[in-house]
Amino acid sequence: MSALPPVNTELELTFRDPAGELRLTDGCALRRIRPAAEKETREFLASSLRKTLEQSGDLIFSRIAEPGSHPCISSGEFWLEHPRIDPISYPWEWTTAQWRAAAELTLRVAGQAIDAGWTLKDATPLNILFSGPRPILVDVLSFERRDPHSSVWLAYGQFVRTFLLPLVAAKYLSWPLQATLFARDGYEPRQIYDALPRWRRLNPKLLDVITLATVFERPGKPRVTSKKTPSTTDPDLARHVLQKRIARLGKQIRYAAGERGSSQWSRYEQTAGHYRPEDVEEKQQFVMSVFARCRPEHVLDIGANTGTYSLLAADAGARVVALDSDSAALEQLWRASLDRNKPITALIADIARPTPAAGWRNREHLSLLDRLTGKFDLVLMLAVVHHLILRHQLPLTHIAGLCAALTQRWLLLEWVAPSDPMFQEWLRGRDDLYGHLTEDDLTRAFAPHFAVVDRAQLGNGRVLFLFNRLLGQNDTGVPAEFQHAGGSTA
Amino acid sequence: MSRVKLLQIFPVVLILVGAVLVFERPAYAYADPGTGLLAVQAAGSALVATGWYLRRKIYSLFRSGDAPISEPDKQSVAIESEDSPNP
Repeated sequence: MSALPPVNTELELTFRDPAGELRLTDGCALRRIRPAAEKETREFLASSLRKTLEQSGDLIFSRIAEPGSHPCISSGEFWLEHPRIDPISYPWEWTTAQWRAAAELTLRVAGQAIDAGWTLKDATPLNILFSGPRPILVDVLSFERRDPHSSVWLAYGQFVRTFLLPLVAAKYLSWPLQATLFARDGYEPRQIYDALPRWRRLNPKLLDVITLATVFERPGKPRVTSKKTPSTTDPDLARHVLQKRIARLGKQIRYAAGERGSSQWSRYEQTAGHYRPEDVEEKQQFVMSVFARCRPEHVLDIGANTGTYSLLAADAGARVVALDSDSAALEQLWRASLDRNKPITALIADIARPTPAAGWRNREHLSLLDRLTGKFDLVLMLAVVHHLILRHQLPLTHIAGLCAALTQRWLLLEWVAPSDPMFQEWLRGRDDLYGHLTEDDLTRAFAPHFAVVDRAQLGNGRVLFLFNRLLGQNDTGVPAEFQHAGGSTA
Repeated sequence: MSRVKLLQIFPVVLILVGAVLVFERPAYAYADPGTGLLAVQAAGSALVATGWYLRRKIYSLFRSGDAPISEPDKQSVAIESEDSPNP
């Protein structure tokens, strides 16, 4: 299995922090620390706080990079090396439960930092990545020494805007968390205040962050202190105040994240009437035999739903990326992978309309396909192809091209024939267009990229195909008609 | 005014006082602290601080009388016992 494909190391991924910048290479992430921040960073690396956080898995491992170990490191510069977390996931791809886990991690770290004499200078979901199902803080430069007499957490505003208010907006205004793609620094209290009905603005649990924050907003210039003015608060009181603040935020996060949701698709496994128990059994047996035969290391499960097959893949020893557009179903998968400690990264995404590139110059945050292309040796497309054909009206040849871009080797696809009740349900009067598709159409469309290696017919008429990708088009196996559509990272 | 009404109004007054008192904006922040949220935090701090000082006063009264203290916030008591009581 090839190593991670090289990312353009000219790409600066972070640039707003005056203390440092981040670059990605094949095997690791490199962070350059600017001279002004070097002393404090070294102190943090030597601290017991750092050891505790690394051991608990809340903070990413750091190592001081040897000069000359990487081409971008010149002597005299101070660089840190971190393991790469792959794939990167962005907050707009997380479920509510993942968002809440990231918020609680931030608060936990902030609380521990306060007790140890440090503080977080920023608090945003963009500082968190998911390593499998576990959130992990990756911004080591967030830590700075705390003034023991100050009872103000300067990152509080950012935490509320970027972690809490999007959850509130999702709960009361149905603004999806995905919309934060366009809000780098979250939502302002005033935005939420203006959108809420009057009676909701008085909710005592959120009164301070929505209504009071809006009322106390001061546009224009208040008196500004030109340097750090030492406050005289008792250090014990300052600590107590900060911990109380953290505790209240924790309660507010839990309140805003709300109950687990259910949806049509998360009840899929129980209500899927088009699968009899023996069909499910047969399908699982075939899938497991494929895993045993192919021994995949990296699996992409498209349309993973509640994750039955992602979990089987993880049990078979693979690292899995699971995609689905249904948040409630994906949340179940995420919880299961967390409970069972399986290396499954769950992302909300619709493969037919994948997450675009975002941020500064559209290069700060990579598109989903840029992050996924060429990384998997087996792709699962179970009970998805009829959705792509009927709901997204994609020709089979295009679907084949996408699959060829995503997998290095194997593709396990479930064909749903027009006679199938689910196909009929989505057909909706377009019989002329799609009603006559056959298995032969499928194999013919996939033939330029794939060869059929195995086939199994289920009792309910669905057919499972194991395809092997043909090489020889070009190095990456990306067919020409797909390259301009962003399927390549070259 | 009844005692109950006073108790209800008191926190709101504290919040408003706290908000007015701390309107200085620090110049050394990294993430944008936000003017409204900064004021809310300051007001909340004033509230917590008042409670903290009040509890200390009550403990110091009790300690001189050697009465047993049953209080969930035993941490504050532990800290108290190391400091000399405030005049």
